Amino acid sequence: MNVRSGRSYGELATGLLASAGAVVFVTAAITELKPYVPVLSLGVLYVFAVLLIAVLWGIGLASLVSVASMLAFNWFFLPPTHTFQLRDGANWLALAVYLVTAIVVSALAARSRRRAELAELREREAAALAEEVLEAEALRRSDAIKTAVLHAVSHDLRSPLTAIVAAASGLANSELRLADADRAELVTTIRSEADRLDRIVGNLLDLSRLESGVAAPHPALWPVEELVGRAVEELGVEGERVVADLDADAPPVRVDAVQIERVLVNLLDNALKFSPPGSPVQVRVDEQDGRLLLHVVDQGPGVAAGERDAVFEAFRRGGGAAAGGAGLGLAIARGFSEVNGARVWVEDDPWGGHFVLALPAAERTPVST
Amino acid sequence: MSRILVVDDEPQILRALEMSLRGAGYDVDTASTGAQALTAAAVQPPDAVILDLVLPDTRGTDVCRELRTWSTVPVIVLSVVGDESEKVAALDAGADDYVTKPFGVDELLARLRAALRRVEGESEPVREVGELRVDIAGREVTLGGCPVQLTPHEFTLLSLLVRNEGKLLTHKAILEEVWGHAYADESHYLHVYVSQLRRKLEPDPARPRYILTEPGVGYRIVNPARRTS
Repeated sequence: MNVRSGRSYGELATGLLASAGAVVFVTAAITELKPYVPVLSLGVLYVFAVLLIAVLWGIGLASLVSVASMLAFNWFFLPPTHTFQLRDGANWLALAVYLVTAIVVSALAARSRRRAELAELREREAAALAEEVLEAEALRRSDAIKTAVLHAVSHDLRSPLTAIVAAASGLANSELRLADADRAELVTTIRSEADRLDRIVGNLLDLSRLESGVAAPHPALWPVEELVGRAVEELGVEGERVVADLDADAPPVRVDAVQIERVLVNLLDNALKFSPPGSPVQVRVDEQDGRLLLHVVDQGPGVAAGERDAVFEAFRRGGGAAAGGAGLGLAIARGFSEVNGARVWVEDDPWGGHFVLALPAAERTPVST
Repeated sequence: MSRILVVDDEPQILRALEMSLRGAGYDVDTASTGAQALTAAAVQPPDAVILDLVLPDTRGTDVCRELRTWSTVPVIVLSVVGDESEKVAALDAGADDYVTKPFGVDELLARLRAALRRVEGESEPVREVGELRVDIAGREVTLGGCPVQLTPHEFTLLSLLVRNEGKLLTHKAILEEVWGHAYADESHYLHVYVSQLRRKLEPDPARPRYILTEPGVGYRIVNPARRTS
């Protein structure tokens, strides 16, 4: 692999200039040192010039420097000076040994330089490749997420829609002989399925707000009773299964009421959905380390130990769950909890599903009257 | 009175269909899982099955295949837009037809009536579809009383379609029946023969009224006078 092909004319000129400079510099240095050290042993200093040029410009210029420095040494320092003649025959041998040494050194230096360049190049390539792989992975993941989102959303939007269209077209069909009770039930179906559709759309909006980070909370002091009450009310008929056992002395919490209401609605909705029809869903509170723990306990199968974190991911649903829902509710519950400094998790409970919402409790301020 | 088994895991859809079908004069059984559906079909054999393709315990396609091992009851599957491959898989597993969610009760009832009719008229040697009359045994075809000349393959294709009037046949099913197993994937054969048939039978071959295309799935023949959609 030719790492430095096409060396420019300007670069060559710089190299030549540097070579000449290096030779001049070493010559000057030897001139300075000559009074103190035998001149013959100073010749080795030219190797530094060769080394420098070999590392910076490669073996071609380094060879040139080797020869030039040999000639300069001969000219300036070996008797008779200022001639290329040599008085002592042994000096010829010294110069020859020097030349060979210089050229070998420059070859080695040049090779190590090429290696360094190659290594650097490979590193850059590897880094670029790693970046590409990361980007591709991110893209693949976001594609997978988009597909999952579309799949879940289309299924979850279509189910209530199908029930609505079927019920409405049944009501509209004059050939059908419907009993009054059936007619009323079809109308109820349309109403409740439309509400369900609205909740799913609301959840999608909440999720997109959370993901894009525009869900800034507006915290205020709220009694937990009121938050639970509003959530239960929103659940409509199904909310009647919720049994709230709240401590009237519980401290208020400092949260965004609208967002925590979303958390509660989703936790309760989840509990109602995954527990036997008609069974109660219990809500109770206790205090711990300045936090108010709100427990939502149902009589369903609960969450398997390995899934307790995964259930809070968007578009996940507990194993074998037949009930509808895009798997958005718990993701939203966790998202809104976190922006409010609260936490939500699944508790190990042999009796059924057990979710805990830990809310930041406010200091109990004595009420002055 | 015909008994219909409705299988869907969404209770609201199940209830709405149950009430509408009952209002249309059918007896209705319901099931919300594949296992329940197979049990219900075995305990009290229905005259037709309406089967959701997405069930909590299994795929509707598998329920259909299982059902076909011991029953020829017509099966209409409930599918969703964009799930062409699953529709084809269900039809190849023995389903008779599909409707796409969300659907109106009218459309479902029309498909149901066609499926039940098919069962009644199964063994007739001469089939009439609108003005088209096909004498399967005598290998004669007339359109509005005028004889139509067909090649042997065209005739086999047409008689397969009319024997299954209203039923959606997949490309694969038609190819295997008319040309044999080796040709199951050669759908271009089928497209060519269908367009030849249309030129001979349809008043306007570009806007067919008898042989209808279900894009990406297959073909069905219908009586133009009975079309509801």
